[in-house]
Amino acid sequence: MEEGKAYIESGILELYVLGQLNAQEQLEVQAMASTYSEVKQEMEAIEIAMEKYAVQNAVKPSLGLENRIFERLGIAVPEIQQEAKVIPLNAEVKTNYQSKIRSLRLALAACAALLVVSLAALYSAHSDLGSARDQIASLSADREKFSSTVNYMKSNNADLTKLVAMANDPDWKTIKLAGQKNPNDNMVVYWHPKGKQVMVNTTKMVLPANDKSHQYQLWALVDGKPVDLGVFDVNPDTNHILVNMKEIGTAQAFAVTLEQRGGSPTPTMEQMMVMGGV
Amino acid sequence: MAATKKISLSEEELVSKLKSQDTLAIQALYDMYSGALLGVISRVIQHTEVAEDLLQETFIKIWNSAGSYDNSKGRLFTWMMNIARNLSIDKLRSKDFKNSNKNQDIENNVDFIDAQKEVTFNADVLGVKDLVTSLKPEFRTVLEMVYFKGYTHVEAAEELSLPLGTVKTRIRMGIMELRKNFN
Repeated sequence: MEEGKAYIESGILELYVLGQLNAQEQLEVQAMASTYSEVKQEMEAIEIAMEKYAVQNAVKPSLGLENRIFERLGIAVPEIQQEAKVIPLNAEVKTNYQSKIRSLRLALAACAALLVVSLAALYSAHSDLGSARDQIASLSADREKFSSTVNYMKSNNADLTKLVAMANDPDWKTIKLAGQKNPNDNMVVYWHPKGKQVMVNTTKMVLPANDKSHQYQLWALVDGKPVDLGVFDVNPDTNHILVNMKEIGTAQAFAVTLEQRGGSPTPTMEQMMVMGGV
Repeated sequence: MAATKKISLSEEELVSKLKSQDTLAIQALYDMYSGALLGVISRVIQHTEVAEDLLQETFIKIWNSAGSYDNSKGRLFTWMMNIARNLSIDKLRSKDFKNSNKNQDIENNVDFIDAQKEVTFNADVLGVKDLVTSLKPEFRTVLEMVYFKGYTHVEAAEELSLPLGTVKTRIRMGIMELRKNFN
């Protein structure tokens, strides 16, 4: 032990590691190291320190040197290494492209599928919209029909209510006009002398329907002279039961002539259809 | 990218592969130690091209004389390091190197002189300079001369006009300080 420690402290191990000893001295050191484990350990510690020292003092060789050395050594390694550097890169790039192309194809297929679905949805939405529009049209037609029916019934109802009121009112006079050209023709005029109101009842009217260029004209005969009370139509589609005519306070008789549309200032006596006295 | 990964093996694996002439060993040695060996060579021979040629020679010698390596005599790196340094010192003292030094191109000369006067700083060595300067100057001077500049300890003693025993002591103290620093 003591001998080993003294040997270590002599500094000869450092010189050994630094390659400073001659062949004879080197053999001595090797013999001591194989005899004393602490000498061997100390030697290794010095070696490791010098190794680290050298690594920390490293100078990086230029890039091509490795291949030059391996070429000189006749080792196939550099080529393998070079290939290993290149091929995986290529393969990587290739697989990169391939996977890119694959994902682009997938994206394209997805787009196409989406387009088809969208078109189908658009078509179905369009036909839904069309049928909805049809429904709306038919509903609004129904509604119009309904509302016109309601209006018709409302006015009919108002007219009927008025008729009932008129029938109960002694001031309203009912004048029946009898056919002049055709004995079957007849109609009814309601007259309120105090209120000067005159109305005709389209439901109690038997007259041939007038054409578009002619209208029936109502006249009042006042002291032998005809007074115009306005025109009215006879057609089966009329909405109103009662038609208001012009006012008149006094009259001895009422008559209706067929005149040109809009009426005439004087009655055409040949076209006298019905007449009735008060 | 995996192909560029540095190879690193344990000391035992390295030795057995090297002795069986497995090319993986020389690749691993290059990855692990080419910088350290070139660092040593470059301290002796500053000329970059010559230093790299010497590194090449070093690896060829390591490969070819792997059979003569005996691990009972020391670690693998110590052996490689001695090969590198001996080749460098031989080169430094050879005639053709001395001649070629005289005939250097002017631009090379400028770099060479600068390097000799330590005017330019080698970025690879900067961190080391810090470490070395942390050593006491008297230890550092001796250690650099013997480890990096190719002096024998006898030459260093003569150059520094110191007794041989003092040089030995300073080498030992310097290495002990390094060991402390590394641990």
